[in-house]
Amino acid sequence: MTDAEELAPPPGLRELFVGMLQVALSAFGGGLSAWSQRIVVEQRRWMTNEQFLTGLTVARLFPGPNQINMAVYIGTSFRGLKGALVALAGILLVPFSLLMLLGVGYFSLHELPGVDRVLAGVVAAAAGMALSMGFKILDQYWKDPVALLLAALVFAALAGLHLRLVPVVLVSAPLAMAWYWPRATAAASPASAATPDRGKP
Amino acid sequence: MTPMPLLLAEAAAAVSEAAFSEAVSKCRPVHLGDLGNLAQVIWEFLSLSLFSLGGGNTLLAEYHHLSVEKFCWITNSQFADLYALAEAAPGPSSMIVGLLGLGAGWREGPGWALLSGYGAELAILLPSTLVMVMACLSWRHLEHSPWRIAFERGLGPITLGILFAVGLKILRTADSTGAGELSVPGVIVSLVVCVLMLRTKISPLWFMAFAGVLGGLGIINR
Repeated sequence: MTDAEELAPPPGLRELFVGMLQVALSAFGGGLSAWSQRIVVEQRRWMTNEQFLTGLTVARLFPGPNQINMAVYIGTSFRGLKGALVALAGILLVPFSLLMLLGVGYFSLHELPGVDRVLAGVVAAAAGMALSMGFKILDQYWKDPVALLLAALVFAALAGLHLRLVPVVLVSAPLAMAWYWPRATAAASPASAATPDRGKP
Repeated sequence: MTPMPLLLAEAAAAVSEAAFSEAVSKCRPVHLGDLGNLAQVIWEFLSLSLFSLGGGNTLLAEYHHLSVEKFCWITNSQFADLYALAEAAPGPSSMIVGLLGLGAGWREGPGWALLSGYGAELAILLPSTLVMVMACLSWRHLEHSPWRIAFERGLGPITLGILFAVGLKILRTADSTGAGELSVPGVIVSLVVCVLMLRTKISPLWFMAFAGVLGGLGIINR
């Protein structure tokens, strides 16, 4: 637990904002989550690596963009809802405003034939990136036929039957959750009473 | 003549009166100036927020449905452009919602467009952020809950299915010619990029830059 002793004092709202802004600015060109680990854990020593990784788990589990959820986790850990909003502003404001500028440029210029020709190419590459998203997580389900069947059914409902996402998720999620409900782990029940994990500040 | 892809009304009118009236009757851009419309649009984004599983990309096909088919703010190829822009720019790619908002308000002038851009992003982030705050505050109780475990395990395969459907949708949107057919060079580039994304660690920006050059040379067209 020497780790915890070396932690810096919990950041205030202004520090949260500046820290998250630093993450956003460092990450120009990608690698946002590596940068946020470097800055939050190594440079500013706000949290231990373990706490950071717990945050990543929570951020990936719940809806919303992972990086943005991570900022919410960091903000909430120190300053509750207010901290979450400040951290969010820090990580979003600059990249988002930049994107809005790009967008204004796009809508002003995209009808120029030269711009449109270049975009036709860029878009094909971007579509390849979109296509790779599913394959990226396919490996972890390879040995679970039920998971593959579920994925195939969801795919067929969306791409084949053109159903909307919300009803598809509302129907399939409860079924999937029922199937994957942890069974034969009755031993876990005293866990909540016996092990109050007070690792987090 | 190729059927007009519900482009800007002015452009359609210039081509032919018939095409114009057809385009308009099929799909009329929803104006944000009307408060009722604005409320509906905000509601749509708010209610999608909690379905952004797996990091947010699961919503791309829904964004396409709303902005191209339902509200008719932008065309198919504009959607593909905005997706590429959001991917290339720094920050999470789910910021595409801001660009869609920008496109939605563009007819009303840049001021309105920026307002609706920021508003759309706020609407899509607000509910998921609030849930995330609650999750963080109660994680100690949630961590070992069977609900958490079932949610995590069950939603994984669903996310997988959605991501494949989204990938296909984006592919169809991006690599289509003006006439609505698939552009063969475009599809080939997409497939190659997909394989390279999975097999190498090259930054996707290089793929986009290279494909942009191919497009500029007229090798990939639409």
